[in-house]
Amino acid sequence: MADALTAEGINLAFGGHRVLTDVSLDFRAGQITGLIGPNGAGKTSLFNCLTGLYQPQQGSIALCGRRIEALPPARRAREGLARSFQHVALCPDLTVAENVMFGRARLGKAGWFDAFLPLPRGRAEAAEARAAAEKVLARLGLSAFSEALPASLPPGTQRMVEIARAIVAEPRVLLLDEPAAGLNAAETRHLTEALRALAAPDLIMVVVEHDMDLIMQVCDRIHVLNFGRRIASGTPAEIRADPEVVRVYLGDPDD
Amino acid sequence: MPDGMSVAEPVAMNVARRSRAWSRDAVLLLALALLPTTLGGFWVYGIGVCMANAMAVLSVSFLLRYGGEVSIGHSFFLALGAYTVAILERQAGVSVAIGLPVAALAGVLLGLGFAWPSRKLSGIYLAVATMALALAVPELILQLGPVAGGYEGLYVAKAPLPGIPLDLQRYYLPLVVLAMAVVLLRRFRHSRQGLALLTARDHPRAAEAFGFSRGFARLAAFAISAGIAAIAGALLAFSASTVSPNSYTLWTAIYLLVGSVISLSGLGLVAALVGGAFITLVPQLLAAWGDWVPILYGFALLVVVILGDRPAETLTKLRGRIGGGRHG
Ligand SMILES: Nc1ncnc2c1ncn2[C@@H]1O[C@H](COP(=O)(O)OP(=O)(O)O)[C@@H](O)[C@H]1O
Ligand SMILES: [Mg+2]
Repeated sequence: MADALTAEGINLAFGGHRVLTDVSLDFRAGQITGLIGPNGAGKTSLFNCLTGLYQPQQGSIALCGRRIEALPPARRAREGLARSFQHVALCPDLTVAENVMFGRARLGKAGWFDAFLPLPRGRAEAAEARAAAEKVLARLGLSAFSEALPASLPPGTQRMVEIARAIVAEPRVLLLDEPAAGLNAAETRHLTEALRALAAPDLIMVVVEHDMDLIMQVCDRIHVLNFGRRIASGTPAEIRADPEVVRVYLGDPDD
Repeated sequence: MPDGMSVAEPVAMNVARRSRAWSRDAVLLLALALLPTTLGGFWVYGIGVCMANAMAVLSVSFLLRYGGEVSIGHSFFLALGAYTVAILERQAGVSVAIGLPVAALAGVLLGLGFAWPSRKLSGIYLAVATMALALAVPELILQLGPVAGGYEGLYVAKAPLPGIPLDLQRYYLPLVVLAMAVVLLRRFRHSRQGLALLTARDHPRAAEAFGFSRGFARLAAFAISAGIAAIAGALLAFSASTVSPNSYTLWTAIYLLVGSVISLSGLGLVAALVGGAFITLVPQLLAAWGDWVPILYGFALLVVVILGDRPAETLTKLRGRIGGGRHG
């Protein structure tokens, strides 16, 4: 497939513990794809395989037809993959704006002399990075916090900052791991709108989330994982109607 | 979402604190620059050495701050810088003006040379690996043979500038270099490389996911730190006027680490000078009170163990507890 991120036959195990079994799926450009499943189903592990933090024992990964499974994580970032983390991974010593600026640091050309000396190119680039960060923060309604340290912000806002960091370099693939965890109702509404606004024809966007209202509202397609296997794929309506998905995940546990 | 006011206040405080730090440093530098006009030669010599030592402490603090790692081997890079200056003067007749940049380059290169094979080590394992460096130093120097002057060492007596008394140059060179280092490090904090190293220190996976590998982070942090240490060694050779193997033992490396911790691994002028004063004075005091050596040894060991695997985090906590003194 041309404009898509595809995983084929992914098998991942730690010791004898199988985490992903023969997972094949694709995420298409211009769509928001949901990745859902019970805790421990392997959603974060799949993200880690896609971004290169985990090396699956088997399987191939391709971005727009180009194989990337052999690339280290830093190279995949250059290919246009960006993500947020389930456990917030912002640098506590950097302000919000600086954390976001880091999201596009790899695009910089400023060398080691620029890092220490006030040379024109480095200064121009730093100003550019700051402007880009401020723009993204404004877009997500976070401008008021740009000079704050992450620890002074509520968890929901920290997650939004992670999204800002992930989108500031205009990635081709955006992987969001439980962006709504810890958000209150108003914050979740704000996030839902923000995610919708982020969707773009050439952006491949994947959201792992437990909040089914959010998933059903923003996703064009959904993949369901259970015990490391893909058990269903389809539109929100199809997924809601799928008996197995209802049984293992969507169903009321009290039934 | 919390309202903007709740964070606006600490932000304003940060800005105010930063500008206070600038003016405090400026006053301090001015005072240091004027000291030789009022103080006798003994003090000028001592404070000159202290400022060179402050630079040495900065090198260890840089590694802690940006690499999140503990070194008990930086006496190696110190010796490298010091002997580069001394040997270049003796063999090629050039002063520290040439010796210092050569030393810095050698420090960066050997720093890379050490960091590459040890890039998978961290925490206490890396600390032990660096200790091997420190242990090797005196023997390595003696192996160099007469070029390095053996046990007696070498004198460093060539003035970089004509027409200014040498003892004043021994004072002002470390002052100027230390001041420059503090300013350059402050700039580095805001560079893209600085942001990358700080993120890699706390969340190596996040740094990787945004294009900076762990190998890059380790090599960069170590090479810069080693370069600073070699510059400090060059200053030390020039300011103290001699180099000899027993100035660069494992003890030197341990003092550097303790000095860095005592200054809360700050990269500002005050922190560096506090650490520099510590490592200038303690060996003198120890010579007088030999009984204290085992106690200090135990303390140093305790420091390494407490810092353990997450030295940066531990120091951040300490810093917070001692009153939010976010140096540099
Ligand atoms: N680095 C790892 N080492 C060992 N087991 C792991 C590792 N990462 C994930 N797992 C295991 O993989 C399974 C799936 O975890 P995860 O991908 O975090 O699930 P999810 O994100 O769907 O909740 C869990 O059983 C977890 O314990
Ligand atoms: Mg997860």
